[in-house]
Amino acid sequence: MLQNTPERAAQKTFRDWYASTKPKADRPALTPEEEARPFAKYYYDEIPAPDPAHLALMDKPCDPAKAIGPERMNDLLDPGDLEVEIGWCNLPNGAGFIANRMFYPGVSAEMIDWWFAWHPLEDLRYRIWYPPQHGGLMLSPEGRKRILDSSIPLAERNWGVVHHVTENCNCGMENIDIHFLSPKDFGFDMSRWKKPYVSTFAGGFGWAVTVNKTDESITAPALMCHIFRDSPQGLEHRTRFWMGYRLSGGKPELSLPPGVAVPVEAVQGLARHNVCEFTRFKSFLPRIYQEFGGRMEA
Amino acid sequence: MPIKLMAASRRRPGLTRAEYQRYLEFYHGTIARQEPIKIKSYIQYHVIDGAFGTLADATHQQVAERDAVVELSFDNFRDMMRALEPDTPSAASQDGKFFADECTNIIVMAEEEEIPVANPIPRFNPGLGIVSGVGALKVMHYIMRDDEVYREDYYQYWREAHEEALEKAPYAREQLRRCVANKRCRINDNDGAARKHFKMVDPPVYDMIVSHWYDTIEQAGAFRQYVEALQASSRRFANWSKSFYLYTKQIVIIRDTPHS
Repeated sequence: MLQNTPERAAQKTFRDWYASTKPKADRPALTPEEEARPFAKYYYDEIPAPDPAHLALMDKPCDPAKAIGPERMNDLLDPGDLEVEIGWCNLPNGAGFIANRMFYPGVSAEMIDWWFAWHPLEDLRYRIWYPPQHGGLMLSPEGRKRILDSSIPLAERNWGVVHHVTENCNCGMENIDIHFLSPKDFGFDMSRWKKPYVSTFAGGFGWAVTVNKTDESITAPALMCHIFRDSPQGLEHRTRFWMGYRLSGGKPELSLPPGVAVPVEAVQGLARHNVCEFTRFKSFLPRIYQEFGGRMEA
Repeated sequence: MPIKLMAASRRRPGLTRAEYQRYLEFYHGTIARQEPIKIKSYIQYHVIDGAFGTLADATHQQVAERDAVVELSFDNFRDMMRALEPDTPSAASQDGKFFADECTNIIVMAEEEEIPVANPIPRFNPGLGIVSGVGALKVMHYIMRDDEVYREDYYQYWREAHEEALEKAPYAREQLRRCVANKRCRINDNDGAARKHFKMVDPPVYDMIVSHWYDTIEQAGAFRQYVEALQASSRRFANWSKSFYLYTKQIVIIRDTPHS
């Protein structure tokens, strides 16, 4: 058992966690307890800048006719590339679409599964991923119990777990509740769920609202898909976001009021954030996995 | 999946419950029937009785008393928004002030989850159900989440406590014909315009309303047995002092009788 370990001691009640998100949004200096954690040094890494050519692909919207809606998510299981692998736009129905692709030499699907299970256990684990814009992360007690349950394969630990994230996606700090799902519950055709078309997956649906929420604030839904497959250039990571959609009865449903579109700033902001946080991820994951990989405690 | 809007209201000053319910059914209901909106169903639940808080509370902790719940179902969120925010204000949206104390409305946008029961009505029985599988008494249980509990855990804990309570309440287990958990959709967070329109100040938030059906009002005691067992759960997930339940009578305003 891991009684009284930092992984368990991090637990806050919903009320206390919610109250803590505003201070976290200011990204305060690490506490003495956090400084003492063996992975604190990563917080002070120099953060690599994204490839300018890659980031430039997020300067302007792509052709919406070449983008796909979430009802076509299974196209991601086709061999080869889709028409848009890097880009963003508003779909004709107002939803926001984001695609991004990264290649990770020296990274395996097992490393991805470990990271997505390991990092939600403490604020600092999330902050070291991308210090400029990551404020913190909390799990519920039942979510934490599942994440720490060693009888569940790492690839499945997050299924049904909600990450309560505080993060800035270039439109100010938000609290985002990310409901992680199995690929089946997300809507993928499991008869096609096999290598070499897919190696692993992390995704689900989220609700985002500013940490300075008022009565007029909008709580915005989105579907998030990180799907990985092996390639000669290393593990290929393909991201898709469909902003303005939620899952209803297991199916994607556009949840924007008629005539409303997801603001361009929000779509482009998340697209650019995604490039930045996963550029950092590419160099950081192999190192931290070598030090802590395969286990939950640190 | 259909989405529902459930609005619990109480009568405006100067009206008796009977006057309020008569106006709601015959005047407001008629206006709603005449609205050109795309709606799956519109059902009114007129309150027969109910209880707010617990026996341990010395006094009510918020506005108690509800006289009706209206439940509007739509095929999807966009249909609901078209109905709630039409290009020109609807007659129904202007009518509420004549019968309801609008600033105390409780509005929940919810999606349904069917909860299995041990003894659904096995066959058509005109002496019991209104339509196949549904009893004549509907109990609407508004359960406020304990503010220390995360939503995802609250739903899990309620489900565990619900099953335990039915084990401890054999009369309820035997008599419960149908149970539906109406889980609040996060889209509901964006109802600022409605709150402004109704001058609602910090309305209470209910993350779930559970509907229980029994054959007739005579089985109301079964729910009482159940709810006491539920409140006695060792699982902490609800603020029982701000929770309440309503015994209701169903009035169909718009709905085709479901095919069995």
